[in-house]
Amino acid sequence: MNIKEIKEMLNLMNENNLVELEIEKEGMRIRLKKSGSRSDDGNRPVIIERETIPESQPKEPVRAQEKTPAKTLEIRAPMVGTFYRAPSPEAPPYVEVGQIIEPGQVVCIIEAMKLMNEIKSEIRGKLVEILGENAEPVEFGQPMFILEPL
Amino acid sequence: MFSKILIANRGEIALRIIRACRELGIRTVAVFSEADRNSQHVRFADEALCIGPAQSSKSYLNIPSIISAAEITDVEAIHPGYGFLAENSHFAEICESCHIKFIGPTPENIRMMGDKMNARTTMHKVGLPIVPGSPEIVKSKEDAIKIAQKIKYPVIIKAASGGGGKGMRICHNDVTLASSFMTAQAEAEANFGNPNVYIEKYVEKPRHVEVQILADKYGHIVHLGERDCSLQRRHQKLLEESPSPIINEKLRRRIGEAAVKAAKAVNYVNAGTIEFLVDKNSNFYFMEMNTRIQVEHPVTEAVTGIDLIKQQLLIASGEKLSFKQEDIHFRGAAIECRINAEDYENNFLPCPGKVETFHAPGGPGVRLDSHVYQGYVIPSYYDSLIAKLIVYGKNRQEAVRIMQRALGEFDIGPIKTTIPFHQKVLENPQFLKGDVSTHFIQEMLGGDDNSGR
Repeated sequence: MNIKEIKEMLNLMNENNLVELEIEKEGMRIRLKKSGSRSDDGNRPVIIERETIPESQPKEPVRAQEKTPAKTLEIRAPMVGTFYRAPSPEAPPYVEVGQIIEPGQVVCIIEAMKLMNEIKSEIRGKLVEILGENAEPVEFGQPMFILEPL
Repeated sequence: MFSKILIANRGEIALRIIRACRELGIRTVAVFSEADRNSQHVRFADEALCIGPAQSSKSYLNIPSIISAAEITDVEAIHPGYGFLAENSHFAEICESCHIKFIGPTPENIRMMGDKMNARTTMHKVGLPIVPGSPEIVKSKEDAIKIAQKIKYPVIIKAASGGGGKGMRICHNDVTLASSFMTAQAEAEANFGNPNVYIEKYVEKPRHVEVQILADKYGHIVHLGERDCSLQRRHQKLLEESPSPIINEKLRRRIGEAAVKAAKAVNYVNAGTIEFLVDKNSNFYFMEMNTRIQVEHPVTEAVTGIDLIKQQLLIASGEKLSFKQEDIHFRGAAIECRINAEDYENNFLPCPGKVETFHAPGGPGVRLDSHVYQGYVIPSYYDSLIAKLIVYGKNRQEAVRIMQRALGEFDIGPIKTTIPFHQKVLENPQFLKGDVSTHFIQEMLGGDDNSGR
């Protein structure tokens, strides 16, 4: 599920005056709920709650517990723009989960005003999660990668 | 009409623009720095995007970040508010080249009026009265003296590329002019990179009267009357009112027509303001043009009933002005007090911090434009304006009474604000008579202003 699909769902809600919409697909459940209060005419930003339904037979049960480790490091977007995992559509992504990232290593591209900006990591660690979605917008300070310190 | 726009600003003006958009059915995108995450304009917008750290240069003045935010949220236009990038012709041009409408005048309008000497010359050519002065840069002190003798003392030396009161010297005779000339040149060089200075007649105890104009893309231009902004401290306006106590109907027509002529001369589009100095004999002189919506626009909205921000949006989206000059009527009187988070007893020292108490004034004739709420933390990175208190009455006397009452109801703490300062102004006999000049604040506070400019 990506931001475009979520936006479509939001439009659907607005067009049909829905206050709450829950969709489950492909092992993921999303609930969109408009924050309501009498004084609010429904124009507050929508709260998005996202749960990842664990697979019925988790491959690595130990891994699932490690999903919230005590110490992780984040690489956050230093600018607002569009996030890309690779220098071009045909090229392989800069980094993959499991890889060791060194300071100065290019981890992604953020495009702004038609300029491709190579974003370098300032920290060292093992990449455990990629939060940025390819070709989707990121704002300043938004976490893109989660690293485990070594 | 646009379906979605981005507001490249913060604080009360961002909220103001969002309100107008709400009423016109336009979806809004707010951009904010990390320091403004809990700001009111962020909460009220339909979408909000963090574009940078607290420093303005890295956020609200960061053109690539703002354009990038506009692109990813797919907006049709950007409203720059006032300050920040509002009069940055480069930014206006970039918007154009990225196919995003800039809600304001053209880049050319901004460029032309940004060059103060050029603006003066242009206005003079179309017959607007300008303060007598040198037709061009003055090269030597001998030339300076010749000009001063022609236009009569006192004169003021000004930096051609300058502003903010820097590089200005008031001279009352040949001797002081001769000695001040070189120092003025040196100051201009140090502050603005070139020693170019020009000379103007110094209008003593002038009033600052500005005229609001609106122009659509089809050449229709109207004026919406004047605002008297004589109450200033160090060239910062503190209180504004409309109508001006010294402008009668006949003078309003003349100064209004002059303003429209000025706007026509440069093919101006959207909202703008022509600033004039008015001397004690009611002669008015073109000073400069502001190519943006101004802080004090609510005062004009009150006496004309016309929503200026909505007009900006309509004009930018290609609509014709829906009214002619004869359809505009001026009724009543309005006063605006700019409430700043400053300690006026301590040289107006800024007082950022948490607002624990916030009780807004209300009742008939009271309008409050503010982004502040109880629990809000005023950041230290931006200007200290926290609220605009506007009152409207059937005449100046009633407006004054309403303002006195409203200021008394307005409770903000524990941070210091300029509310008590405004209360002092509203009790001052000179002010109550309407007899003020740009020196008023300085005199009221005991002449410690050090501006004399």
